[in-house]
Amino acid sequence: MENGDSKVRIGFYVCHCGTNIAHTVDVASVAKYAAGLPGVVVARDYKYMCSDPGQDLIGEDIREHGLNRIVVAACSPCLHEATFRTATARAGLNPFFCHLVNIREHASWVHTDRAAATEKVQDLVRAACGRVRHHKALERKRVTVRPEVLIVGGGIAGIQAALTIAESGKKVYLVEREPTIGGHMAMFDKTFPTLDCAACILTPKMSQVKAHPNITLWTYSEVMGVEGFVGNFKVKVRRKPRYVNEEVCVGCMECIEACMYKQPKFDDEFNQRLGKRKPVYIPFPQATPKVVLIDPETCLHFKTGKCKQPCIASCSRNAFDFNAEEKIEDVEVGAIIVATGFKPFDPARSPKYGYGHFPNVYTSLEVERLVNASGPTGGEIVMRDGRKPKSVGIVHCVGSRNLQTNRWCSKVCCMYSLKLAHLIKEHAGAEVYNFYIDMRTPGKGYEEFYNQLLEEGVHFVRGKVAEVTDWAMTPEEEGKLVMRVEDTLAGFVRRIPVDMVVLSVGLEPREDSQEVRRMFNISCSSEGFFLERHPKLAPVDTATDGVYLAGACQGPKDIPDSVAQAGAAAAQAMALIDKGYIEMEPNTAFIEEKECSGCKSCIPLCPYTAISFNEATVKAVINEALCKGCGTCVAACPSGSIKQNLFEDVEIFSEIEEVLANA
Amino acid sequence: MAVRVHQTIKYEAEADPTFAPRIKEKRGCEKLEACIQCGTCSGVCPLSIYMDHTPRQVILLTRSGFRDEILKSNTIWLCASCYECTVSCPKDIRITDIIYSLKQEAIQARAYPRRFPIPVLAREFYKMVRDFGRTTESFLVVKLLMKTNILAGLKMWKLGLQLVTSGRFGFTPESIKNRRQLQQILDRVGDDNGKNGGPKK
Ligand SMILES: Cc1cc2nc3c(=O)[nH]c(=O)nc-3n(C[C@H](O)[C@H](O)[C@H](O)COP(=O)(O)OP(=O)(O)OC[C@H]3O[C@@H](n4cnc5c(N)ncnc54)[C@H](O)[C@@H]3O)c2cc1C
Ligand code: SF4
Ligand code: SF4
Ligand code: SF4
Ligand code: SF4
Repeated sequence: MENGDSKVRIGFYVCHCGTNIAHTVDVASVAKYAAGLPGVVVARDYKYMCSDPGQDLIGEDIREHGLNRIVVAACSPCLHEATFRTATARAGLNPFFCHLVNIREHASWVHTDRAAATEKVQDLVRAACGRVRHHKALERKRVTVRPEVLIVGGGIAGIQAALTIAESGKKVYLVEREPTIGGHMAMFDKTFPTLDCAACILTPKMSQVKAHPNITLWTYSEVMGVEGFVGNFKVKVRRKPRYVNEEVCVGCMECIEACMYKQPKFDDEFNQRLGKRKPVYIPFPQATPKVVLIDPETCLHFKTGKCKQPCIASCSRNAFDFNAEEKIEDVEVGAIIVATGFKPFDPARSPKYGYGHFPNVYTSLEVERLVNASGPTGGEIVMRDGRKPKSVGIVHCVGSRNLQTNRWCSKVCCMYSLKLAHLIKEHAGAEVYNFYIDMRTPGKGYEEFYNQLLEEGVHFVRGKVAEVTDWAMTPEEEGKLVMRVEDTLAGFVRRIPVDMVVLSVGLEPREDSQEVRRMFNISCSSEGFFLERHPKLAPVDTATDGVYLAGACQGPKDIPDSVAQAGAAAAQAMALIDKGYIEMEPNTAFIEEKECSGCKSCIPLCPYTAISFNEATVKAVINEALCKGCGTCVAACPSGSIKQNLFEDVEIFSEIEEVLANA
Repeated sequence: MAVRVHQTIKYEAEADPTFAPRIKEKRGCEKLEACIQCGTCSGVCPLSIYMDHTPRQVILLTRSGFRDEILKSNTIWLCASCYECTVSCPKDIRITDIIYSLKQEAIQARAYPRRFPIPVLAREFYKMVRDFGRTTESFLVVKLLMKTNILAGLKMWKLGLQLVTSGRFGFTPESIKNRRQLQQILDRVGDDNGKNGGPKK
């Protein structure tokens, strides 16, 4: 099938894709048709073009027939463009002389009429052969990747990722908003399902982070802005002043003792406002870094200017600096891991449970602090009214699995409710009722933990609690909180009086997730959790190259899953860095300098800020490394002086002309 | 007390596979199958403590096609249409509307408990409005008592007398002009009404 006439020598291949394409498109006749098109030297159909023998066909033909253009009619370029370009390159031809026509998604999968589909494919093939003759040899540019990594959020996920990367010898910047790292895990007493002490397994990791020579830890800090692109991000970090020099303070806490306020007076955020702290404080004894800070909102000096400041005098290391100001740090990194975690659901949004109305209704996180030996009650379960509960009701799914609040299952609440049931029984000897819709305990050792709780005599009622009320209908209900619920397994409604109610609040995205999302140029799922590139095959990548996800910011998950995901994110970041460079697709825009009038129209239009202005030459300049090839500037330039590789006018117009040739 | 033993097993043949799809087509019943059986509806319902099937079970039985079971249940007649369940359901299921559709089915199939006042009241109320355009409460109450429990009615003579003497119960039948037009209107909407179990002449 030779008709080599001109210097353009096209090899054409149409794929059956098993029966995916061949079922709806007459591939043999497409090959025959293509053979008659100008410049086509070889035209073949083959069962699976992407298979090794399929790819070899291309190589053999290039060598044997001296082909200089390749057109493959197959599936989506997203799937196999790289495959066929690589096969082309292997045979010594520039890979950008190879062009893919998608006849699966664009024809066989969307049509039923075989004759019409075949005709459409012929049009598409003609257009491809028309444009490919104008293709040029192009080179992929290499950009080096910086070896540092930025990690945002110092919960267990951020900590794990930081340690993994630092251990591999790379430098990490860990930015945490709160005065200490540790995230939610630092608040827990025990962790399911093994009931190991959270502090015992977490604080050693926190100290390692602080001590590691490859980790720069910036707590009480936030990322303000990110510029650049994979391999070369420029990051600005704002560090809020603690009014205590972090390098000098050793956390002896003499100043806290000395403060003008003799008694702690202000709500302690770390203890979920169940305890009090002074204006100069440390969130908890093992806080990392172990450094005090001053809250200017409550400190007398900042409020009145009239404090004698005994804190300063009490400090033997002279660590206080009441004139400290916020600091801005600029760093450059090759990769970013976002590990900003979650926010617990606010149960005031579901008023039927009486949170905020009845003092003895608690959130699960509050109870984590109550059962914690270093918590506000020293690990004793004492209610807001000073009593110890004899009976406790734990409500699962608060805020979760509900179209009125959060539609998703928060994944960890069943398990931590079981944990809290165990701890409450252990600490207070109380009768405990768990109210659940479905008991979800998938995980290693999790079902066994449920069995353990059943055997411990915890009561389980399958039903979503309808309301919590203090309206007594029987003498036993006097002075109690009554939980009204259908016992769905028994099939009748029950009223169960208890002293204390625990609301197992779900996990939701943080309030600032939209701002964070925009800053790192990543997307959110409809729930607001950050979106992974693929739910199964790329669970830690994002749509932005070089930005990875770890932990509960990507969706509700427990500690084992957060740690595993953090490891995966670290591995992805290290793979990028160890390769050392990235290859940029050459489909970028370029400016024909002599034609550019210097009007600057294109500059604000580029979504990737890739265009700048050279004042000396009075011309616009495109940074190839930043250009994503979106084409916006090409269309906008009034003098037509911007062009784009693979989308030059001749290429596009010849494609259009050919596709319409038979219309 | 003698223990009575009977089989409680249900065979699939007893279920009506067309029932749930039919109910689902009615307005407000579209989400019947989204129920996660959480029991919130039963928990909030002020009357569930008297019902033989809780509202949640009504949803379950309907969805599983146990038509006879559900049409005989007192639940659909005890429902006071307070909409508390509908407001509270985490899956936006309009339980009250589903119960309305079941009432219509029951009336159409004449499957409701014969002497149960609520369906009887519904029928008599409709008939009276159709015939006169208005209801006359005294007549309605007497009709209801006669069709359900005459004895109980007779026992209430004293209350009845008081209502009459205080002028709360009149015996002049109330009526509107152009009753024929109203009937024509009702006949027109009656197509749907009849199909959904509304009273027919
Ligand atoms: C009551 C309760 C009990 C639980 N019990 C258990 C248990 O027993 N076992 C278990 O396996 N799991 C348990 N979990 C789940 C566990 O909390 C999570 O799996 C874990 O905390 C997720 O870790 P993370 O690092 O992703 O998020 P987080 O712990 O939320 O940490 C995120 C960190 O990022 C910081 N941050 C957020 N935004 C920014 C920003 N913009 N800039 C800088 N820093 C930021 C935060 O301050 C925080 O320190 C429980 C959850 C709850 C609510
Ligand atoms: S300045 Fe006064 S109020 Fe503020 S921390 Fe020091 S002693 Fe306390
Ligand atoms: S093609 Fe798009 S990304 Fe590239 S310079 Fe032009 S506007 Fe920017
Ligand atoms: S409240 Fe809604 S989801 Fe729950 S059992 Fe009732 S109908 Fe089903
Ligand atoms: S509408 Fe009916 S079923 Fe629903 S809560 Fe009210 S009485 Fe109960």
